Formats: sequence, C-alpha cells, structure tokens
Amino acid sequence: MKKVIALSFLLFIFSCDPFVTEFADISEAEMYVAANSSNSEQLYNGGQVKVVTWNIRFGSGRFPFFGDSCGDEVIAENQTINTIMKSIADTLNSMNADIVLLQEVDISSKRTGYIDQVQYLLDNTNLNYGCYASMWKADFIPTDGIGKINTGNAILSKYPLTDAERIQLSLRTDQDDLVQYFYLRRNILKVKIPSLSQSGKDFYAVDIHATAFATDDTKEKHISKYIEVLSDLDAGSAIFVSGGDLNSVPPGASFDFCLLDKCEGERFIDSDGSESEYHSVDSLVGPHKEGSFFNNFEGEPDLLSPLYDSYQTAISHSDGSSLVSSNFTHAPSTSFERHAIKYDRKLDYLFTNGVWVAGSGYTHQGAWELSDHMPVSAYYLPESE
Amino acid sequence: MKKIQILLTNFLFFSFLFSSDNFWSSHSANLLEKNRWEIGMFQPFRYGYSEKIEYSVHPILFFAMPNISVKKSENTMWGFSAASQFSLNYPTPLLNMVSRKGIGGLIDPNLEVPPMLGLSFSWLMSKTILDFNLTIKNGLDFGLTYGSLDKRASIDLPLVYHRLGIYNNGWGYHTGIDIQKAVMGKFEILFDIDLLLLPDLASTQANPDFKGLRGPYSIEHKLLLSWVKSDRFKVTTGYKFVNAEFPFGTQSRLLPYIPLSEKWVPIIELQWAGVKK
Repeated sequence: MKKVIALSFLLFIFSCDPFVTEFADISEAEMYVAANSSNSEQLYNGGQVKVVTWNIRFGSGRFPFFGDSCGDEVIAENQTINTIMKSIADTLNSMNADIVLLQEVDISSKRTGYIDQVQYLLDNTNLNYGCYASMWKADFIPTDGIGKINTGNAILSKYPLTDAERIQLSLRTDQDDLVQYFYLRRNILKVKIPSLSQSGKDFYAVDIHATAFATDDTKEKHISKYIEVLSDLDAGSAIFVSGGDLNSVPPGASFDFCLLDKCEGERFIDSDGSESEYHSVDSLVGPHKEGSFFNNFEGEPDLLSPLYDSYQTAISHSDGSSLVSSNFTHAPSTSFERHAIKYDRKLDYLFTNGVWVAGSGYTHQGAWELSDHMPVSAYYLPESE
Repeated sequence: MKKIQILLTNFLFFSFLFSSDNFWSSHSANLLEKNRWEIGMFQPFRYGYSEKIEYSVHPILFFAMPNISVKKSENTMWGFSAASQFSLNYPTPLLNMVSRKGIGGLIDPNLEVPPMLGLSFSWLMSKTILDFNLTIKNGLDFGLTYGSLDKRASIDLPLVYHRLGIYNNGWGYHTGIDIQKAVMGKFEILFDIDLLLLPDLASTQANPDFKGLRGPYSIEHKLLLSWVKSDRFKVTTGYKFVNAEFPFGTQSRLLPYIPLSEKWVPIIELQWAGVKK
C-alpha cells in the first residue's frame, strides 16, 4: 500500500518550501500584534491577572468534523466559521482576560476559509499581542479534501510578548511512516511577558495541546515534557501561568468513554485492516476507541498527579472539584445530538507555580456550543497583591 | 482493486496537470503534417488530419475527463504563421473521482461537482527569428457549469487551482510566449512563460471575509531539454516553475516535487511519433 501511495505521489505537487513542515526541537514562534493596537505599549497597572485556556476547535463550534467526532464533514460553511469566530471574540471580550491560551487555532487552512484566526481574535478583542506555534502545517493534505492546513497553539495577551518558543513534542509511534508524514506535530508554546515580571522574576505563559488519539505512550511523553518545561521555569525562579488541552482526565475520573463515543455502526479496525467490535463494558482488554480511552498505558489515569502535586490548579483537585460535572470541559462535537450531552469529561487545565485567587477558577460551560471544549479561567494573584 | 483505483485516479489527475504542457512541437502555430501522429506518457494523442487541421485527445484521460482539441491553420499575419485552437473538456467525472473519503481525496467528499464544460479558444502565431522558433499565444477560457458549484470544491494547488478557477469565475484569459531552438545535433531546448488570469475572481465570492476564491493569476515557466533520437522518438527533461497567487497568498514552486522525500525531480517525458499509412 505504501509503495502504491508513494508512486502515486511521485509526480505530485511540488514546492520550493517543504510540502509538510517539520520542526526543530526548539524553534521560534510566530509573533502577532493587533491591527488596532495603540503605539504605546499596554502596560500592566497592577491587580489580578485573568488567565483563560480554550481549545477553540478552529472556530467551527460543534461542526461535525470527520476527524474527531461522528460527523463526516470536512470544510465548514463560511458563515458557520464567521458566526462562531465572532462569538468566540465576544466571549473573550466579556471575560476580559489578560492572557489567553488557545489550542486548535487555524491561521491558513482551507477548512476555515484561510482566515488567520490569531489575527482575527487580536483585531476583535481587547487583546493586543499574540504568538503562534503550528502543530499541523502542510501545503496539501491529500485526504478527505482537507487540502492546505496550518493550525496550532496560540497565546494572546494584553501585554507585550517576547522570547516566544515552540517546543516540539514527541511524534506518535503507533502510525506508519506515510500517515506520520502527513500527521500532526504537537508542541508546547512558551512566551515571556515582561510587563508581569515580579520581584525580579520573569513571568511566562505556557500553552500545551497534548496528543488526543495516540494509543501508545506518546501522551506520557507529552505530559512528561510539559512537566519538564514547567519544572525548568520553576527551578529558574520564573513565574508561570500555564495550561491547555492535556487530553487527560484527572486522577480518579472515569477513563473509558469508548462506548459512549462510538459512532453508529462503527467498528474497531486494526493495523491489518481487520474489523472487530469495541469492548463491551469498561474492559481493560479492549479494543478501545482512539481518543476515548484514558488508560492505554500503566499509570495513564494518574498522569496528571505530578502537576497537581507540584503546582496550584485553577480547579481544585484536592477537594474533588475537578471531578464534578460542573467542571467538565469537553464532549465530542456530536455528543449533544446523539446523547444530549454537552460535556462529560475534564481535559482542560490551568496551573501556576504562583497563586490563583481562591475560588476564582471557573469552567465556562455556557460556551459549549462554540467548541467541543469549554474555556477554563482563573485570576492569578501577583506577589505584590 | 482499491490500490489500482488510487493509482489510476492519481495517474489521470497528473495527466490532466501535465497535458496542458506542450513538449514537442504542439506549442507552435505549425500543425503536424498530414497523417502524422504523436503521443507521450503525459501528452495527448495528436494527429494531423489534413494540412489545415490537427486533432488531439488524451486517450486514457478521456474516460475520466472527455476532451478534444482542434487546431486549424490560418492565414499568415505580419510574417507569422498563425493558427487557431479550440479545446473542449468535461472534467466532472475526474473531479468526482478525487472527491472522496480517505487517501486520494482532493475535494471534500460531501461536495458533489456538477456537470461542467470547459471551452478554450487560443490564437497562436509563430515565426523563426535568428534560428529561434518563437510562438506567441493568446486566448480565452470559459467554464460553463450546469448546476450549483460549491465554492469550497476547489483544489488549491499549482497548475490546478487556476485551471479549475474558470468554473467559479466563468472565464479566464491566458497568454504566453515559447522559444524553441535546436542545439548541438539532436538536442533542442524550449523556454516558455505563460500567464493565466482569472479577472475579478474574488467578486464571485459571497462572503468578503473569506479568501476561498482569491488568487487571480498564475505565472508558469518551463525550461526543457529534449533529445530527438529520430522523428519517431524523443526524450525530454527539465523543470517547471510556477509563481501564483492562491487564496492563502502567493506561492512559488519548482516542479515536479516529491513530497515524501521533499525533493525536486526533473521532468521525464517520453514521446513517440509515426505516420499513418
């Protein structure tokens, strides 16, 4: 099969740039400034700093995208993207966030009409500066009509950003070479916000989108790398606010959503192409649905414990808040029409090595129609306060 | 069976891309001699029907994209030999073949491509100046659609986007210049540069916030070196360079390019010719 595909592509299209962009372990992020930003720098005037994390699902709302739900759509209607992006901008404005950690932001993708969503959000919110790190950048994905794609993580801020770094995460090992070539290259995006430096300590925002569908230990590698990045900042006496879509459930949460997420008539297909039914009830044997099972390797259900142990979280875990439904942040995009479920698991988190304002952590479930993830916010309490 | 289908689909698609190139003498206003035929791996079958008429058709591609072209010799103008060319193609079956789920899906499978007819009229003028065979080409392309063509059903790739763009825009303009010269015995070179325009393309788009149908021009250049073994066989190699504007911005590419190894490879084209008895 590989040879056939390779031969088919032998005469395929061509570019002076790489067809699919691969990244170094560390590379520079792309920097943005709002078009309407004033020339005078936005300066921090003290007070609490509101931080938000949100996987905005490329502004497609609950569009039944073929890649992550039971839908089979690929390219959204222009009006759908326009409406959702406006609602996302309005929601961010109403939150009045100082720092926003975004995942799944398209900057040049056919599926979203080539809108640069980072620039759009900067130009339509009270945020002024941004940086972006691609996790999937290809001139053309010759599958299902996806075409050109450039999507990734972004950090938006009211205050100027410097030293933005894209930190490459491990690639999946449970894919063949051809699929991996065209597949996502996830990353951590780290940026310094000098205006928020306190007592001589640098202030950083760190954004991650960990693997969703890997069935090997890739997720463990991603979370380990994330912990390493945060630990290095902490050891270097820097302050950070961090978070993102970790695609991991909190320790003690349900970890098997295979049957709930299974689409009508869907069957498990192994690497040889043979089909079988998914397991029946909470089986540890499998087979499991990619992205719906959070116990693929030993210790995966407790993968986030080191983060909870080391840092303060916006939604407390020690009091059980992270396990209650009012703090669920995700459900597959077609869950509502299939099961009347808006959210059924928590995958999105905020951490800091500083202090969150007590009780300020909030999961914005009212925004459930704007993405298959819901934003989480909290107020960071500066040392001076 | 699935492998064969994918291979065939891609072969047809690439044939479509390169069939717009003219490797041998088809670019000029000079017609094939009566009863002479020529064909290449990616080139159409061309046949000199008479001293005044030349037909061409891509025989394999024909089953997925019915096509025919007729070139007619015209009266000499200002010392240039002249010819008119009329082409017609029906790309709908081919586009619906690549509108599919999974690998090989170049168009969203939810978008059905309606019946469409492509018409192209060209005027060619050729003259030999100082051993250089010069050809100037101008023409108009028209894309007729019978039904609703979803604006999202574009393929945003070099060579493809601007050729299919006429079905969204209704029409396009093409012009170009070819210079061919014999060098060192059996070798000859061809230099050409072409411009394709889709005037006012963005206005066909309902939503101005989107860029789905922007990209009004494509400049295409190729340089080919041919070894003409005889008047019956020819091998050609070279490159094609495209600078074009797409909905996502301007892009330049050197062709052909192998994505998996991220390398450019030279064009290799074999052509055969003969005379019908």
